[in-house]
Amino acid sequence: IQPPEKPLQAEEWNRLKESFHCPESFEGAMFNSMVRCNTPIDVAKSLLTHVAKSNGDIAYYLLVKYLALCVQQGQTSEIQDVYDIMKTRFRILDSGAYNLLIRGLCNSDEWRMALTLLEEVKEIMVPSRSNYESCIKAASHHQEMNLAFELYREMLAKALVPTMDVLQALFDFSRGMKGAELQKELFDILLYLRDNQLYPHKTFMWSIKLWFESIPGECWRGHLTSIKNSGQCPVCSHQLEDSELTEEEYNNLRERIIRDVIHGTDTFRKTSPQEFAAFQTFVESRLPFDIVIDGLNVSHIKPRKMQCENLFDAVNCLAKDNARLLVLGRKHMLLNSSNWKREIMKEMQKKAEFFFAENISEDDAFLLYATLQSGKHCKFVTRDFLRDHKACLSDSLTRHLFRKWQRGHQIVFSPSAEEKQINFLPAFPYDCVVQTTGDTWHIPYKEAFEEKYSYQVPRKWLCLQQRR
Amino acid sequence: MQSASMLLKKVLRSSVLPFAAQHGVKKDLFPLSRTLSLSLCLKQDNSPSPSEKLDLDAWKKVMKSGLQEVGKETVSEHQELSSLAAARELLDMWRLAGKLVPENISEEQLQTFMERPSKSAKKKYLKYLHLKEIKKKSDKRKMEEKRERRLQAQEQASKTDESKRNSFVCLWASGMDKVHSWRAAQSMIFGQPLVFDMSYEKDMSAREVANTVRQLMFSEGCNRRSVDPFHIHFCNFKDNSLYHKEFIKYYREAWGKLLITVTDQCYTDIFPKDKLVYLTADSPKVMKTFDHDKIYIVGSMVDKSIKTGVSLARAKRLGLETAALPLEKYLLWNTGAKNLTLDQMMQILLTLKDTGDWKKALEFVPKRKYCGFVNKPVHELKKSLNLINALKFGKRQEEVQKQFAKNYSKKLTRK
Repeated sequence: IQPPEKPLQAEEWNRLKESFHCPESFEGAMFNSMVRCNTPIDVAKSLLTHVAKSNGDIAYYLLVKYLALCVQQGQTSEIQDVYDIMKTRFRILDSGAYNLLIRGLCNSDEWRMALTLLEEVKEIMVPSRSNYESCIKAASHHQEMNLAFELYREMLAKALVPTMDVLQALFDFSRGMKGAELQKELFDILLYLRDNQLYPHKTFMWSIKLWFESIPGECWRGHLTSIKNSGQCPVCSHQLEDSELTEEEYNNLRERIIRDVIHGTDTFRKTSPQEFAAFQTFVESRLPFDIVIDGLNVSHIKPRKMQCENLFDAVNCLAKDNARLLVLGRKHMLLNSSNWKREIMKEMQKKAEFFFAENISEDDAFLLYATLQSGKHCKFVTRDFLRDHKACLSDSLTRHLFRKWQRGHQIVFSPSAEEKQINFLPAFPYDCVVQTTGDTWHIPYKEAFEEKYSYQVPRKWLCLQQRR
Repeated sequence: MQSASMLLKKVLRSSVLPFAAQHGVKKDLFPLSRTLSLSLCLKQDNSPSPSEKLDLDAWKKVMKSGLQEVGKETVSEHQELSSLAAARELLDMWRLAGKLVPENISEEQLQTFMERPSKSAKKKYLKYLHLKEIKKKSDKRKMEEKRERRLQAQEQASKTDESKRNSFVCLWASGMDKVHSWRAAQSMIFGQPLVFDMSYEKDMSAREVANTVRQLMFSEGCNRRSVDPFHIHFCNFKDNSLYHKEFIKYYREAWGKLLITVTDQCYTDIFPKDKLVYLTADSPKVMKTFDHDKIYIVGSMVDKSIKTGVSLARAKRLGLETAALPLEKYLLWNTGAKNLTLDQMMQILLTLKDTGDWKKALEFVPKRKYCGFVNKPVHELKKSLNLINALKFGKRQEEVQKQFAKNYSKKLTRK
């Protein structure tokens, strides 16, 4: 249904209602389409008046829909009136109404009222992140940065995840302001990005750059750049930090991999205790390896070729410089078949150690174990993103450790498909996170807003340095 | 003044005609709304006659007057609220806002609602209760309608009462029950055992356990009604487990009289290991034929979140043979997981036992999950294969002919 364009009299509303196929839900449907068409609120008011006069009351859901219309059009005084009416009639409101009220008031001069509403929400439930975001944006818009940061900290304490939008607003509205406290808060946001391995998108990166350059008396200069493969920043020739974990983090990660990924709820789901024990003794007796290869994954790299040939090429390619290789496979590879020629397998076993798991076991878990057991220098080869194994880890902190370790230790294939030879891209020698040395900041950023594959890391960087 | 001119502009820009024509509003509305629009414009400029004025804020007066005291009273009444009452109040508001919330909610349900860990989990639970409530209501309504119809039918029947003579006393239901029980009792002595492994309680949520028990009840029913029932074993069954409680809830006193074997022993203690076959969708082995000498094990587990390999792990631990149904071989799989419900498994196994016909047995796989049987269109597959080949050759025909000519000329030159 199309809402009328001007306020109607009672009998006109009645007529419209009768012509509607389902008269009971007429008002609701009409309000929905008013919100959709952004009808002037006078029309909505006339409908409300009609409803109020014929029923002596207006249902709560109609009030909420009317409120949505007012919020959409920024009718602040109307929002306040509706709130007053709702408050006299109902002890508490539902979350939808609070969301609308807070959002509506935050976009107006009455934004402080939204703060009292936020307090009201806290009494009955945990406010949503959009509640906080509206308030934070309003506060920073009115240059009340202290209040904005207080709300931001409160939000983090409630385990709500802020959007990039809010973080960007905090940078935008702090531009040109002085204060060590404020500066620390903003640095904390950058460290929050670092800890959660988040990358700002391009416009957010510009906000960060502009804020740095606007700090009075500190002479920050920002440059957009891409980091060399060696991990050196071409602008300030600073060497980026590598993705090595600390001793404690490394041990922690190794234990969690064994506990959550390999054993999980039941060791038999991925392997069996006997098999895992056998693998452990196998690895211990031959440690340390330099590169661990997921044999089956590598063998599918070029579908036209025989599987054992692919693996043979890969092993030859990686076996330079006396690197100690371990290839993980399954027992079926040992049976002479069209894809697995016994002679080639024998030839390969001279160049690398092999471990063959049961056909129904998961070799990826063994890959992780062998690599972690060999030490920090050891890398692994697979095209798999290992997301399902990451998901087995129960807390986000360990997942971040896993991602960091994976970035620095996974060797992937170079994507060029035409080349005859198999080529490998070495693991990143530097870590792709927000990082600082005090007088420099290096911030990786995403070119487009919606790049969100977890395995993709940005190649573009913002280099900030302070000139003293 | 500005607003008045704005309004005028709006009225001019948006002529009423398309609106009326588009939406089938009765034609007589058209002249009326035009006068109205004119009067509105006038109203803004110089005060119009009060009778024509539309008081747009009249609803506020209605809402504020009269009901205010009522509101205040309720506020003072509920000054101190327990968390339970607060949750109930919140639910009331959600219902008023038109969300999917049940009308009646028990203390127990409210407690589970509050214990849900996240907002979305809470919403999901409420939706579930809401749908349950609607279902219950419609069932009740249907029952009442049915009863009324029956009463009417009885009245009519009593009017035209002709006692029919029949050689059988009409005792179908209980008679059939006796026949089924007799068969089930026989199966308990001579029947082929079928094991349900009841050791998955800790892998499931309470609702999954409830679903499992419902499926087991269906399975038991199918088995009892079949011509040659299995001897059902519930193995690893712990008394006072969640399974047990759910069974008691539905079967009540009939639970003790079921013609099945319930034991806390493991199947490996009861049967020889080499006879056991664990049926699991994760098995690498595919079942070829139904073996009447084997004892098949089905895991009593409903798996709503994806936990692959749980039952395969159990079979591996005990060193048992495993098998999966040959779904891929016989069905053109479309969507959905390969794990079937317990009652579907039961129907399939019963059919296999009686007929050994895979096609007939796999009729019980839900239709939405597959496109069709593979063995049916085999000749069609061949036909399409031929067609593809023909097309290929059609393209390459010249090439082939050239090749042929070349070879032929070679042969000629050699000679």
